[in-house]
Amino acid sequence: MTATTIAPDRRRALAKRVLARRAVLPWLFLAPGLLLALVFKFVPMGKGIWLSFFDVRPFLGDKWVGLDNYTRVLTDHRFQDAVGHTLVLGIGQSLGAIVVGFVLAVLLEGQARSLKIIRTAVFLPVVTATAVVGELWRLMYYPTSDGLVNSALGFLGLGPTPFLDNPDTALWATMAMGIWMVAPYNMVIILAGLAGVDRTLYEAAAMDGVSLWQRLRHITLPAIRPAIGIVLTLAAIRGLRVFTEVYVLTGGGPAGSTEVWMTRAYTLGFTRNDIGGASAASVVLLAVTLLLTVCVNYFRKRGDVR
Amino acid sequence: MGVRRRSRRLAAMITVSGLAFGAAACGSGSDSAGSDDPNTLEVWTRSNPDPAATYERVFAAFTEKTGIKIDYQPVINFDQQLQSRASTKDLPDVMINDTALMGSYQSQGLLKPIDPDTIEGHDQITDKSWSSTVGLDGEHYGIPYSRQAQTLMIRKDWLKKLGLEAPTTWQEMLRVAKAFADRDPDGDGKKDTYGMVVPGSAQNGYAAWWGSSFLWSGGAKIIEPDGRGYRPAMDSTAAVRTVTWMKDNLFCGDNGVIQPGAISAVTGTATNFQDGNAGMYLTGPYNIATYDTTPGKDKFEVVPFPAGPAGSTVLADGENVYFGARTGKAKQERALAAFLISPEGQRLAMTGKNQPVVRIPVNSTLDAAQVRDDPRWSVVQKAYENASEQFPNAPDFAPIKQDTADALNAVFTYCGSDVRSSLKELNDTLAGDLTDQDLLK
Repeated sequence: MTATTIAPDRRRALAKRVLARRAVLPWLFLAPGLLLALVFKFVPMGKGIWLSFFDVRPFLGDKWVGLDNYTRVLTDHRFQDAVGHTLVLGIGQSLGAIVVGFVLAVLLEGQARSLKIIRTAVFLPVVTATAVVGELWRLMYYPTSDGLVNSALGFLGLGPTPFLDNPDTALWATMAMGIWMVAPYNMVIILAGLAGVDRTLYEAAAMDGVSLWQRLRHITLPAIRPAIGIVLTLAAIRGLRVFTEVYVLTGGGPAGSTEVWMTRAYTLGFTRNDIGGASAASVVLLAVTLLLTVCVNYFRKRGDVR
Repeated sequence: MGVRRRSRRLAAMITVSGLAFGAAACGSGSDSAGSDDPNTLEVWTRSNPDPAATYERVFAAFTEKTGIKIDYQPVINFDQQLQSRASTKDLPDVMINDTALMGSYQSQGLLKPIDPDTIEGHDQITDKSWSSTVGLDGEHYGIPYSRQAQTLMIRKDWLKKLGLEAPTTWQEMLRVAKAFADRDPDGDGKKDTYGMVVPGSAQNGYAAWWGSSFLWSGGAKIIEPDGRGYRPAMDSTAAVRTVTWMKDNLFCGDNGVIQPGAISAVTGTATNFQDGNAGMYLTGPYNIATYDTTPGKDKFEVVPFPAGPAGSTVLADGENVYFGARTGKAKQERALAAFLISPEGQRLAMTGKNQPVVRIPVNSTLDAAQVRDDPRWSVVQKAYENASEQFPNAPDFAPIKQDTADALNAVFTYCGSDVRSSLKELNDTLAGDLTDQDLLK
């Protein structure tokens, strides 16, 4: 009869021992997330890579074409143009957003209540849906003096500019919107970095009669290097897969002047029903993004060690 | 089953959305509850909430009559969702969508062939309409449901104020457009009006969709049947002449003939006619109901598209009923199709307070103007019957339309470009598209 009372104890002890093992508990907590990621992320990702080797025709049977999709996509001059635009947009937007984010952070650092309100206001673009932001900016860029930007230019005595309808300016106009959207996000990370700067350094510098620029250059920037590293990594990941901004603002036009990697892949997949080509384009993007992220991380770590 | 099906579909949706942009792949919310029940049909249409309300009324009447239930899904980003579903080999039973997409669907094997004789009431659809649903292999792949043709919406109060007549030729149309832009037709003392609304973006092929009526009225064709195949025809003299005319007069001509931003406008953003600052819009009749509210029923009229050098031939399109491949509900599907094309079904879809989903009825016993008691619809019906042309439906027209739109948009954007060489290049691209489909003969 005693066995029945002992057994649960033993079982509990066993369970305790298993749970106590370092590896099990974290995995247990991670399991739901991992399962979701597996089903919704890694399996589709694998299938996407698989499909990129096929002429995809679900009801007629997929046809193996090997690397044909890749050669077709990579030799298409429209796709090459799109890659060029993506690089310009990605790099310009990332650097612009870091610079603007840094300036915002330096200006809005501090404890005052009013600063908190301004910071919240400045942060708003980040939490607004990209599609909504795109619509707003399309109205702001409206090519007559009714548009907000153009009416402001009018005060300065400049004529209305068709920002989005001129193939020479459309990409830059898109970039400006991207910077506006991402900069406050960078600002928050850099603000966190700034909070860790030792105040006494500033005081010492002030006593030595150091200029503002020298203070920024020799105290602030070195101190927030880890924050900049994070911001750069995020920018590298985000920069290349820009889609919604462009799709909402210009749809890749005019005359393909703002066509980027993902809008091209989208057109291939959903207007031309070339799922194989779209998958190939996406796989190349995945590879390049991965490479870029690894590179940025490598340089960041090397910088940290030094 | 329901959960597995949904997760499979979601997984596929993410797959085909590429590996990176989850943001664009918002779910349709289609749960297909009970889609395995043989007495329930899953039906998809590409509709906004307003026309969807009309469909709901039609399907409710069908269910009441036959007892067959409808799991109705109005899908806004139809093409994307359909490709996702196709990749899981689980299609809706019945789809109602554009006629020009038939070739695309059929080339992917998404559709069940249809024998017209098995559809009750098939003899009330004209042979001309039936002939538009024949695929490359000679079989029917759709049932005509609704037809329409483009007409010109024009502000009659503006015409009256400036003492002008509705234009009947392109030159007159240009003159009216300039007057609308320059002579302050809304009388507010400001130069804030435009002649004409143009959705000229290449996105989704809009430039080709809107521009095709100009091409055809100018005597040009995009592709032409040639023996058992097709050949590209955008390098013809007529095409060069027409595109040059459009570029010089509309896009690169006087300020204000078309609305600002036309080169990057899609139909969703080209709202100037509705906003009351543009006087003409060449578009489909589904907008009549919208424009009756703003700018107002008494403010505009519907007239035929002004004639170009080769007369007035406008883009006709419409919608067909398609049966998804590989479902075993043939009897229920045929019953639904028969109801949809019957006088009762068509009448229901043409009337009501929401946007009509049948524009010109395919049922020859009905008359659009009579059913609606609105003579403006006879303008549309006449345009469809006498002077219209559809995009070829048998080949996969999607890449052809997209490439044409890309080329036209580029020509209209770069005012200094050479039209002849741009169109020559387009012609080569189109030849490539036709070769991909084994259609270039």
